[in-house]
Amino acid sequence: MRKKILATLLSTAMVLGVLSGCAGTTTGTTASEAPAEAKEEAAADTATDAAASTSDFSGEDPQLEKEFHILSIWAEDNDNGVLINSICKSYQEVNPNFKYEYELVSSDDLRQKVATLVASNDLPDMFVYESGKPIVDLIEAGQVADIGAMLSEIGSTDYVTPSATSLLETLSGTDTIYDLPLGLNVEGFWYNKALFEEAGIEKAPETWDEFEEDLQKLSDAGIQPLSCGAADKWGATRLINAYTVRSLGADAMKNAAEGTTSYTDEGYVKAAAKIQEWANKGYFGEGVNTVDMNTAGSMLMTGKAAIFYNGSWFASNLNDTTANAAGEDGIGFFNIPVVDPSVSAADAYSMNCGNILCLSQAKTDEATKWFVKYFVEHLGDVAMETQGSIKGYTYSAQASDMSGYTQLVLDEIGKAQSAFTWYEATMGSELSDAAQNNVQMLLSGEMTPEDYMQSIQDAADMAAN
Amino acid sequence: MKRVLGNKGAVTLFVVPALFLYSIIVVLPVLWSFYYSFFSGSPGLKWEFSGINNYIKLFSDKNFLNSLLVNLKYIGIVMIGQVGGGLLMALMFKFWLKKFKNVVRTIVFFPVVLPTVAVGQLFAKIYEIQPNYGLLNSLLSAIGLSSLVQPWIGQASTALGALEVMDIWTGIGFHSIILYGALLDIPDDVIEAGRIDGCNGWNLFKYILAPLLRPMIITCLVFSFSGTVKLFESALALTNGGPGNATRSLSMYMYSVAFTYNKVGYGSVIAIFIFLLCITGSRIINLFDKKESYY
Repeated sequence: MRKKILATLLSTAMVLGVLSGCAGTTTGTTASEAPAEAKEEAAADTATDAAASTSDFSGEDPQLEKEFHILSIWAEDNDNGVLINSICKSYQEVNPNFKYEYELVSSDDLRQKVATLVASNDLPDMFVYESGKPIVDLIEAGQVADIGAMLSEIGSTDYVTPSATSLLETLSGTDTIYDLPLGLNVEGFWYNKALFEEAGIEKAPETWDEFEEDLQKLSDAGIQPLSCGAADKWGATRLINAYTVRSLGADAMKNAAEGTTSYTDEGYVKAAAKIQEWANKGYFGEGVNTVDMNTAGSMLMTGKAAIFYNGSWFASNLNDTTANAAGEDGIGFFNIPVVDPSVSAADAYSMNCGNILCLSQAKTDEATKWFVKYFVEHLGDVAMETQGSIKGYTYSAQASDMSGYTQLVLDEIGKAQSAFTWYEATMGSELSDAAQNNVQMLLSGEMTPEDYMQSIQDAADMAAN
Repeated sequence: MKRVLGNKGAVTLFVVPALFLYSIIVVLPVLWSFYYSFFSGSPGLKWEFSGINNYIKLFSDKNFLNSLLVNLKYIGIVMIGQVGGGLLMALMFKFWLKKFKNVVRTIVFFPVVLPTVAVGQLFAKIYEIQPNYGLLNSLLSAIGLSSLVQPWIGQASTALGALEVMDIWTGIGFHSIILYGALLDIPDDVIEAGRIDGCNGWNLFKYILAPLLRPMIITCLVFSFSGTVKLFESALALTNGGPGNATRSLSMYMYSVAFTYNKVGYGSVIAIFIFLLCITGSRIINLFDKKESYY
C-alpha cells in the first residue's frame, strides 16, 4: 500500500515536471506567433487612432496619458542620456500626463536584452539599438514601428536631416526609416600635428600613396605611426574597411554580403594584407591586440603615436583639456585617403548614426506619436546647445562656446557629399564576430590575409545554414 | 531512528519536496534545453522546428571544435596545476614551514576571495606591453631577457597559457587548504612508523601519504574539473575570448550562439554537450576512486 502511495507521489512529481515543461512550450510558441498578432493589433489601433484623432498633429498637444518606458545604454548624466532625459522632462511641462521610466542596460548586453524582450513580447516603448543588420532582424519580425510613415503622419519629416535619413535607410536596406538617429558622425584619421612636423610632413595626406609615404617617414623618424585599439577589435577592422572601400567602392561590403562577390576575392584579401603589412612593419607598436580604443586615443593625445582612426565623437575626448596633452589645436583630422578617385571619391566619408532609437510596434499609440513629434522637433537644438553636437536633426541654435574640435567636426560633416558604412554594417552577428575576433590573429601574424577572409566567408556560409 | 527510516511514508515526506525542487531547478531546464535543441532561431525571432539539424551541424562547426579543444587544454593544465600545486603547498605547510605558517596560508588563500574581474584586470596589467611594460615584461627586460618580452595576452600562442597561469594562481589556495586539512587528519604515528621503517621523503609520500590522501585528491579533482569545465568569466575578464578564438571556451561560444547570434536552438545543443561533458568527466575521475576498493 505504502509502496503504491510512494509510486503515486513520485509519478505525480514527474508528471508535474513534464507538464510545466509543456506549459513553457506553449508560451514559446505563442511568443513566436505574437509579433504577427501584435502587428495586426497595432495596425488596428493605428487605424482606430487615425479615425478618432482625424490625423491632425498640427495643433496643441492633447495631453494624453502615457506611461512611457525607455531602454537606454547611457546613464542619465552621460552622453545621449542627458539629451533623452532633458527632452522627456521638458515634454512633461507640455504634457503633465506623460510619465516616463528610464531603464539602463550596459551596451554589451543590449542585444541580449532586446532579444529576451522580443521573445517575451515585451519591448519597451522606446529603446536604443544598433543600426545595420541587428535592426533588420527586428524589422523583418514586425517588432519595430515604421518611423518614416509616422513622421510624415505627424508632419515632422523635415526635422530629421536628409543625410541621416538616407544613411539609416541604406543601413536597414528599406525605403523608409524604422529608427531615429542619435548622432551623425564621420570617421577618419586624427593626427598629432607636432609629430607630423617632427617627421617633416607638411600636410595631411590625400592619396593612399602619400599616406603610406608619411607612415614610412614617421617610422623612420622613430615615431610610432599609428595607434589602434585592436583590443576593442572594431578599431582594427575599420582600417581594413578603409582600404576595401577606397579600392573597391562603397558597395564592396554590401556586394559580398549579398553574395554577388565573395569575401575571399582578391580585392578584399588585399585590404587585409595591407593591415597585416603595417603590423609587420611595426607601425602599430608592440602588442597592438592589448591596446583598447581609450588607450590608443590617449597615445595620440600624449604624442606616443602620430595617427589614430576614430569617429568624430572622439572630439569630446579632445575637448577634455585634462586628457588632451596636445592642446586646443594640436590634433588635426583627415578623411580616409583615396586609392582611386573614380572608385571612391575624396568627398565620400565613412559615416554612421551611432546607436539609434527604435519604437515598439505593439506599444505605439497616439500619445507616443505626440511625444515623438516633440522629440524630433527639439532634439537638434538641445544637442547643439548643451553639447555642441549634431545628432541628425535640424537645429537653429548655436552652441555658446563651441571648441575648435567641435567646429572641425562640423566642417568635415559639411564636406561629406556621400557616405559609406563600416566593415560590419552589412554583416550578421556571426560574421561580425568572425571579422572582429580574427582581426587580432591577422595583426599578430598568426593568420594569413587569405585565411582571415576565408574565416569570414566560412561564417557567412555557416550563418546561411 | 531505524523505525523512522523504515517507515516509507516518512521517507516519502523527506524525499519528495527535495526531489520536486531538484526537478524544477535541474532536471526541468535540462529537458527544456533538450526540447529547444530541435529548433532553429530564437523564440520570437524566426523560431522554427528543424529536427536534428542542429546536432548534425555541431560536429562540422569549426568554431565549436576549436572551443572544445580550448576547453580540454585548459581543463587538463589547470586541473593539474591547481590540484598538483595545491598538494605541494599543503605538503609545504605541514612538513617544511615552521614559522609564519598562518601568514603564508593566508597569503596563499587570498586570491580565492578576490573577484574574478579584479584578478583579470590585475593580470592584464601584469602582462601589459603597450603603452608601458607591465610587471612581467619589465622584469624580463630588467634581467636582460628582452628577447622574451612579448604581448602575452595579445597573441594566440601565449594567451591560453597566460590565462591558465592566472587561474592556477587563483585556485591553488583553495585546494591547498582542503589537502592540508586532509594531511592533518593523518595520524602522526603512521608517519612516524614509516620513518622508523626507513622511508625517505618520496617513499613516505608514495606509500603512506598519497594513498591516505586519495579520496581528498579525487574530491579536489572533481571540484577543479567542475570549475574549469565552465570556463567563462576569467577568460572574459582577461582576454574576452581573444585574440581570435584562442581563449574562447565552450560556454562562451554557447553564450554567443544563443544570445548574440540569436540561435537559441543551436546554443541549447552546445549546452547539452557541456552537460554531457561534465557527466563524462566526473565519471572518469570517479573511476580512480573505484580502484581503491580492489586493494
